[in-house]
This record gives sequence, C-alpha cells and structure tokens, in this order.
Amino acid sequence: MLLALILIPLITAALVPLASRRHVRWVALLGTLAPVGLVITLLAQYDWTNPPSQTLAMSADWYPDLGVNLRLNIDGLSFALVALTALLGPICVIGSFTAIKERVRTYYGWLLVLQAAMTGVFLARDAILFYVFFEFTLVPMYVLISLFGSTNRKAAATKFFLYTFTGSIIALAGIVYVAWWNATQPGGFGAWTFEFNSLIAASQKMPLETQQWVFLALLCGFAVKVPLFPLHTWLPLAHTEAPTAGSVILAGVLLKLGTYAILVIAIPFAPQAAITFAPLIATLSLIGIVAIGLVCWVQTDVKKLVAYSSVSHLGFCMLGMFAFNHAGLQGSILYMINHGLSTGALFLMIGMMYERYHTRSMHEVGGLAAKMPIWATFMVFFSMSSVGLPGLNGFISEFLCVMGAFTAGDNWSAGRAATAGSLGPTYAVIAGTGMIIAAIYILYLVGKVCFGPLREPAGHGHHGHGHGHDAHGDDHLPADLTAREIGILVPLAVLCVALGFYPKPLMQVVEPTVRDTARLIQDTRAKMPEYDLSPMPRVTPKAASAPEARP
Amino acid sequence: MTPTMIPTLANTDIASYLLILILIGGAISFAVINLGASYLLGPRRQGQTKGITYESGMNPVGTARKRFNVRFYLIAMVFLVFDIEIIFLYPWAVTFSNVDHTMTDALTWLGRILFFILTTIVAYVYGMRKGVFKFD
Amino acid sequence: MIEKIHALWPEITLFAAACVVMVVGLSRNVQVRRLCVPVCFIALVAAGVLAWFTTPMSAAAMAHLPQYGKTLAAFVGALLLLLLVGTPDREYEDDVARGRAAFEPIRGTRGEFYAFYLFSITGLMLCAGADDLIWLFLALELTSLPTYIMVAISTGRNRSMEAGVKYFFLGALGAATFLFGFALIYGATGSTKYTAIAEALQAQYQAGPLNAIAVAGVVLAVLGIGFKIAAVPMHFYTADVYQGASAPVSAMLAFVPKAAGFFALLGLLSCVGWFRATEPNTSLPEPIHEVLWFMAVLTMTVGNVLAVMQNSVKRILAYSSIAHSGYMLVGLIAGPGLQKDSFTHNGLAAVLFYLLVYGVSNIGAFAVLACLERRGRDGQMEEADDIADLRGLCSRRPLLGWIMVISSLGLLGLPPLLGFWGKMPLFTAGVSSGDYLLVVILGLNSAIAAFYYLRLVGVTLLEAPDAPGRGVPVQPGPFPTRVLAGVASVAGIIMLSFIPLTNQAQRAGIYNRDPIIKRSAEPAQPAVPKPEV
Repeated sequence: MLLALILIPLITAALVPLASRRHVRWVALLGTLAPVGLVITLLAQYDWTNPPSQTLAMSADWYPDLGVNLRLNIDGLSFALVALTALLGPICVIGSFTAIKERVRTYYGWLLVLQAAMTGVFLARDAILFYVFFEFTLVPMYVLISLFGSTNRKAAATKFFLYTFTGSIIALAGIVYVAWWNATQPGGFGAWTFEFNSLIAASQKMPLETQQWVFLALLCGFAVKVPLFPLHTWLPLAHTEAPTAGSVILAGVLLKLGTYAILVIAIPFAPQAAITFAPLIATLSLIGIVAIGLVCWVQTDVKKLVAYSSVSHLGFCMLGMFAFNHAGLQGSILYMINHGLSTGALFLMIGMMYERYHTRSMHEVGGLAAKMPIWATFMVFFSMSSVGLPGLNGFISEFLCVMGAFTAGDNWSAGRAATAGSLGPTYAVIAGTGMIIAAIYILYLVGKVCFGPLREPAGHGHHGHGHGHDAHGDDHLPADLTAREIGILVPLAVLCVALGFYPKPLMQVVEPTVRDTARLIQDTRAKMPEYDLSPMPRVTPKAASAPEARP
Repeated sequence: MTPTMIPTLANTDIASYLLILILIGGAISFAVINLGASYLLGPRRQGQTKGITYESGMNPVGTARKRFNVRFYLIAMVFLVFDIEIIFLYPWAVTFSNVDHTMTDALTWLGRILFFILTTIVAYVYGMRKGVFKFD
Repeated sequence: MIEKIHALWPEITLFAAACVVMVVGLSRNVQVRRLCVPVCFIALVAAGVLAWFTTPMSAAAMAHLPQYGKTLAAFVGALLLLLLVGTPDREYEDDVARGRAAFEPIRGTRGEFYAFYLFSITGLMLCAGADDLIWLFLALELTSLPTYIMVAISTGRNRSMEAGVKYFFLGALGAATFLFGFALIYGATGSTKYTAIAEALQAQYQAGPLNAIAVAGVVLAVLGIGFKIAAVPMHFYTADVYQGASAPVSAMLAFVPKAAGFFALLGLLSCVGWFRATEPNTSLPEPIHEVLWFMAVLTMTVGNVLAVMQNSVKRILAYSSIAHSGYMLVGLIAGPGLQKDSFTHNGLAAVLFYLLVYGVSNIGAFAVLACLERRGRDGQMEEADDIADLRGLCSRRPLLGWIMVISSLGLLGLPPLLGFWGKMPLFTAGVSSGDYLLVVILGLNSAIAAFYYLRLVGVTLLEAPDAPGRGVPVQPGPFPTRVLAGVASVAGIIMLSFIPLTNQAQRAGIYNRDPIIKRSAEPAQPAVPKPEV
C-alpha cells in the first residue's frame, strides 16, 4: 500500500513518454489521481487518531552490508503530509493544462517523479532511504525549473540544486555519525542500521557536545530547505523562475520536507542540542519573519512577494517547533499543512494571472477585480487565509505557534519542567509584529492587484490577445477563470475553511507526534537541569506573583 | 623470526650510509676539481681550426644531417632485442647442468626456458609479419 | 614455483591471447584481422572466469584481494574492450576497404593496439596478485608501458603523439620514484616479499618508531604510485593526456592504471599496517598517515576545483578522475577498522567497491564522447570534446543523451544511483576511523563536483541543440559496440544500485591483523576504541 503510493506516480512517469502528445496530460492526471484514491482509502480504512503502527509497515533489504533497509511506515504526521502531497498532485497537473505547451511529456514525466520522491520522503523510516528520496526531489525540480521556467531559469535552477545538495551532504555526514555511534558505542544497537527508532534511541546517550555537532550538521541540510533566514537566498529566485506547478509544489511540499526533517530527524537525533540551540534558531526565525516580511513589502513582482512571504511564514513554523511545547508543536505542524494549502493556492492564482497577462509586475497590472471578479474573489480569499484571518486556516496555526513561543520557558510554568522550551514572551511579541507586517504586505498586494483602477499591460487587448511571440498561449483563455481553474481552486478553498473552523481532526491525527516530541524534549530537559541557555530573565516561583526581571 | 636475525640496514644505524655519502662526495669533488682545474690552468684558444669537427684529421665533407632509411633503426632494434634474449640463455644453460635431473624441478626449469623461447618465437613471427626483415 | 603458476591462469590466458592477437592483426586478410576483437573478448571472459574460480588465497595480509582484483579487472576490461573497438586504424581500414590503399602490415596498428590492451590488463591482474615488491614493480610497468603507446596511436593526430610522449616521460619519473622507494624499503627490511616486510616493519614498530629509511621508502613509493592513480602532486599529466588520447583510450586510462595503483597501494600499506598506537589506533604510522591525508585532501580539492573551470568534456572527466582518486584515498586512510567482518568500518573494502563503481560509471560518459564527432578547426571530423558538442543531445540522440545524463549523475553520487552507494562506505569508514574533518572535506568536495556534473547534465538534457556539425554521431556508422558499452554502463549503474555486490568487496577488503595483535598484546595499548566522553 505504502509502496504503491510511491510506485504509481513513478510507473506513470515511465509510461508518460509512450503516450501521445494529446493524451499525456490525461495519463499524468490518472497517475496523480490514483494516489489520491489510495489516500482516501487509507483515510476510510484506519483510525488516524490512533494510527496502526505495524499493519502498513514494510521493510526489505536494500544494501544490507551498509545496514540500509527499504523501510516504510506511516503515522499521523506522515499521513497528513502525504495527503497534502497527493492532493496537490492532480491540482498541479490540471493547473498546467494550458500553461505548458511544449515538451509536455518531459514536463509531466518529471512532475510525477517529483511526486513519487516527495511521498517517499514522508514514508521513509530509514535515514538513508529518507536521504535518497530527499535528494532525489532535486533532479525533477531542477529540470522543471530550468526547462519550463522564465528568463533567468538556468541560474535559479543551478542555485537551488547546489544549495540543497551541499547542505544535505553535510547532513548525510551527521546521519552516518549517529549510525556509527549506534553501531559501536556502548548503549547502541551494536550493528549498522539506519532505522529511525534505533538511531533515536542511541542518540539520546550522546554527550552534549557531540549532539551539538550532529545537530549543526543536520541543520546544514534541512535548514536550507526550510529555508531558515540566512540560507533562504535560493528560494525567491527559484520560486520566481519556476513554472506555476513548480512553485506550487515548491511552496506546498518541498519546503515542508525541511521542517518535517527537522521535526522527525534533527530534533530527536540531538534533543539536548536542540534545546541549547532553540534560542538561536528562534532568533533566526524571528529575523526571517520580520526582516523578510519587510522585504516582501517592497516587492513589485507579485510572485516574488509571495515567495518571500514563504520564508517569513516558515519562520513561524520553526518558531513554534522550537518552542517545544504542545501548542507550539501542534501549531507548527498545522502550519506546514496550511501554508501548503494557502500559499500553493496563491501561486496558482498568480499563475492564472500570468497566463493571461504575461507579466507579474504590480506596476503593469491592477484593479483586476473589475475584469476578473471570480479570480479576485479567490485571490482575496486565499490572501486572507495566508495572512491568518480568524476563521480561516492560517489563523489557528499562526496563533498556536505564537502562543507556543509565548508560553515556552520555565518562567511561566513557575519552575516546573512542564514546558521545556527556552523561548518566551519576547519572542512571541516580535513574532506578533511579524504578523502585522504580513497583513500589511498581503493587503498591499491585494489592493494593488485586485482593486483600484484597472491597469493592463500595454498591447493587451480586451481579452486574450497577448504579445505576439506567445500569443498562442492564451488565445482560448477567457478573461475570467474557466471551470477547470475554478475546479482546482474550490477544493483548496473548502479545505481552508474547513481547517479554519474545525481543525480538530487534523490536530488529533498529528497529536501522537506532538506528544512524543514534547515528551522527548521534556525528558531530555529534565536530565540537564544545570543547563540554562534561556536569554529570558528567569522568574523564580516566589517572584511569580510579582514578576520582576533579573538581569 | 626476531628482528635481530634479519641482516639489514635497519639494524645498523643510518650512520652506515656515511660511507656512501663520502663516496658521493668524492665523485662530485672529482668532477668539480677536474673541471675547475682545467678552467683555471688550461690554455684557451679560439679559431677556425679549433672549431672544426676533427681537430687533427681530415676535413669533413658534406652535411652530417643525412637521412637514413628507417629500416636501419628497425634492424638495430630487432638485433638488440634478440641479442639480449639469446644472452639470457647462457646463464640458464650453465645453471641447468647443476639441477638435480631426477627432481620435478628440472622439468620446471626446462618449462621456463621453453616458455621463454616461445615468447622469442612469437616476437620473431610478429617481426616477420610486420615486414621488418623485408628489404625492397 | 608451481603454486605460483596455479595462481596465474588468468594472466597466462591473457598473455597467450595477446600473442595471438599481435600476429593476427597483421594478416593481409581483412576477415582474419577482424578476429582481433573476438579473440580479446573471449580471452577476457575466460580470464574472468578463471580468476574467479582458480585464484587461491594469498599469503599476504589481504588474502582475497587477488581474486576480487583480477575478476574486477576482467569484468571492467571486457566493458572497456567494447568501447575500444574500432579505435585503431579507423581511417586506414576504411581506405583499405574502399580500395584506396593497399594493406601494409607496417602501417597497421590494430594488432598491436589490442595486444597492448591485453598486456595492460595482464599487468593489472598481476598487480592485484602481487606479493613481492619486484613483482609489483614489473606488474605496474606492464600495466603502464602499453598505455603510453596506446595513447600515441589512438588517433592519427599530433596531439595524441604529444600526449603519449608527455605521458611516457612523466610515467618514467613516477616509476623511478616508486622504484627508489621500493629500494629503500628493501634496504630497511631486508626483503622484497610482502610478508617478510610486514614482519620486519612490525618488529621495528614494537621496538619503537619505524626506521627512517623505511618511512622514506614508503612515502616515496606512495608518491610514485600517486602517478598511476593521478593523485596530487603527480597529477599534472592527466588532463593533457586524456584530452590528447581518443575517448575510449581515456576511459581506459581512467580505470586501468588507477586500479593498478590502488592494488599496489593496498598491498604496500597493508605491509605497513594500520595500527598507530595513539588514538584513534587504526591509522597508519606517523608521517605516512599525514602524507596520505594531505594527498587525499589536495587531490579531491584540486581535482574538483579545476574541473569546474574546464570547457572540454574530456578535461572535466580527467579532473574528476583525479577527484575520485582523492575520495578513494580517504578509504585507504581510514584503514580496515577494528571490526573484522564489517563492511561499514572497512575503508579498504570501500576502496575496492569504489573501484567497481567508478569503473562501471565512468565508461558511460566516455562512451558518449566516443560516439560523437564534430568538425574541427582544420575542417576534418574529429572526436567531440567541447561541452557545447553535447548541447541538446537528449533531444537529438535520446539514447546517447540519457547515457550521458545517467552516468554523470551516477558519478556525482546522486542517490539512489550507484555513485552514492560507492561513497557511502567511504563516509561510514571515515566516520568509523574518527577522521570527521576528512569526511566533511569529502562531503564538501562532492558538493563542488555537483557544479560540473550538473553542467554536463544541463547541457545534455536541457539545452536546445544549436549549430549543425557539432557533436554529430560518428559517421561511418560503425560502432554499435560503443553504444553497447554505454548502455552496459548505464545498466550497471542502475542494477548495482539495487543489487548490492558489496559482499565480495567486503571479503576482499578483510585485512588480517591477527598476528600483529598477538604481538602487541604485551605493550599496554587498548585494542578497542575508548568510548568518547
């Protein structure tokens, strides 16, 4: 079953070159709809609040001498992310029907390969298998960007590839180190294996300094993907140059690979180090949230703005995760899903606009509500979802992340190790500023593009007649959205509303992961009482009634 | 085997290389002294007669840069190869008479030289096919 | 003596075939001349089978190395032969076939070419089986000497001649260096046999530090053999020679001398032994370890950095071959580790496995070059070389293009392709030996390598074909075997990624350190690593 989730897109990708040009997209659609079907079957068959731990698991030897095993399993978190991947698959395919006219076989083939690789990342339970899938997402993405992107695509694709590849090799060194520790050091498994649980069990016994190195090595690989603040420079370029479906997948799923990896690998492999580095990472996230938020504000390229906003949003996700308490982790995971939905949808919207006007500049288009009312409605809707309007999905996750950061730290739990994090209200306040900035730039974007006087690029006719060289791209697109386009936006919109009003099922599904991680950190923290890296003034239990800051 | 049983330089000191150093020093100083002495002491004359090929002999005729047929080189090389191969037969022949002919060792010894001769024959056939021995 | 003959059946087979091929290639009858390649191929296959089934265990520290090495040589040798077909005398035979010229044995080079190739493989096998320094020296020279000539006669152009001469002189320099090293080792230990050298060095080691002469000898030998594996500082010839030779011969140069060099290094260093008493106690003795360490770092870095700057595909592959040697040196430095039967700890097994990986992956990239030609500056068709010649190959010639893409990604080590599985054991062995800095440098170098391999992939897969006449398939439509070699290489890359053959490499990499541990039991050196605190 799990293998089928990976293999179906892969096999379809192999069949795509055989299909005729006209049928390719239908074959691809079939290949992406099948995993959706599987996900729905899984959803119906099992109770995901208490997921089956063994019935679906599979394992087979791959490179036994190296201890590498083809080990797949699924839990609540994996299921949620696989479902997100599966959902975005057909949406990307349908969204590309009119946008991609040339080399369609190559396009859909690689899109399917990408889908398979991403699914594999979430299902792998062997660190090397995970790494294999993680790395293999690079190739299809590289091809998609550099073949189907816009003007500066080569540089963007290369930068994307090199950034991620370099980082993940260092991460591989970290993984190998943990496996070595597990194989040889006292308390380890005694043989080479890369199985997650075995490695996690062994790595608890590593001394702090070792853990810190391991954590930094892993972070090298995963923080690039998130992207954490100083390592984010590949992202705007890649997003801007990528084709629409590429951007959707990039924002929707690929970035989540980074946060997912940090949550299930980096933190459990080096929990002590994670605790000591939490303030640092939270600070970087805050810089990302605020500084990149400000950067968004000055963008004139619509797509670039949304791309930068991803950096800012993922900052919230990281902040919540490194708060290490229940609310923060819960919010962080919800954020992964919600960001995938709303930012993915925003990229789709921009793609639709681009198909009609061949520009992404705010100077050239504006006031489209008059021309494309349906488009504008969706645009406003998803912008609100992205910015965290209460009632829509963005709100709950952002709120939980910030609340997690606020309540983390010993000072509010009065000395008990109830919450283990070392963040505190200051972080939350700064993050709150970031939310305001986010509201500003998104509203600015919506205001410019949707409202105000109608502006269209010079030479653009009443509808559908673009510039000469790519006129063929849009001559059968009506001014406003087609049924096909509406069809792919509606499911996303429905999910946004549903998760906004009633996120409980999703929260229950990811609850085990949240609980385990929180407990792991709590236990670890309990073992290192002397360690205090909290930059927050500590408030003793006695002083809690009358809080006063000690320098 | 204990280390002392190996009669090697390892057991002696590196100082035992001193003799070689002295010898090298002697060789170098011999050359330097001779060249220096002739530079200092010898008379120097330049001129037409001094510069010709054979200082005390007949005058050279024509240019020395004459083309030779490439076959000369081939012949010379083939000669060298076979000559040296044949020379290898001598030590074998001398030693073979001392080998205990009742032992299977003797067969091995014979086999070796037959193999060696075989390679020579292959080389000969190769040379012939290649046309080394042809003059036309 | 008889026992030694028994160990040499594969070599004898190849040697006999070489003699036959040398004479057959001179026949006036074109049908007979064409027999060269089948004879070579059959001999290589037969040698491989013989190597697998008849090679006895060696008495040296790595008992199974000969069997693995010889079989590997025959296997990759057969693949390389597919690629080499048609390299010598292409235009000449074409003229003869069309009646434009009469066949003269003195002008033909076909017989010599294939015979030399077999000699070279014979030398490689002898290197794997060597248990004596003199044998090793002769074997190394038997591997190299034919390659000098093969380079020179591989194309009719002056550049090949120049490359051959350059290769020869620098090769002589390398040979002199390691021969001097061997002489010093003999001086310091009193024997040329591996086992005796190992005992003598161990005895010295027990008594105190190693004899300075022995150390100098080993270092010189390592530097000299560095020429064979194209390691810094003996790497200068690589790019020029690879570029001057025709692509199939370059492919051969990238594998055969390199493998011979690594077999030689394995033999030599296993005499020295990986048991420095200090922590971590699995490294080579004092200066030798450091020399190799710097060699490895420089080789990786120089190779990769220079490869980034090239525009000629052959030069890229040449510098990348330098870099791959650097990766393998990491395995040598890591040594056999302490757990005897573990593949993951054993750097020697990692090196042996990497040789297989590199041998298989490398052929694909060169095969594509060998199948393409372009119009040169003088208007003649010549072998494709510039990176622009590959432009849009995937759309022009999908088969060749995809071979290039997959073998480049394989060499880069992108998971799940074979190169990744080659590098993984190097990583694990490096981490096991405690040399984290070296492992990180290895990782960073793999990332630098991404620059140029990605360029090869990008140009081939993504760009649109441009001017006609660049990188067109070779015209006298000849060499299905070259395409076959490429296809075989890609099939190997994919198959070996999923069907691991690591256990053979692991067996060959087993390093027998028992006698030494017995001796070193008295001095209080812990044989197990202390747990880190």
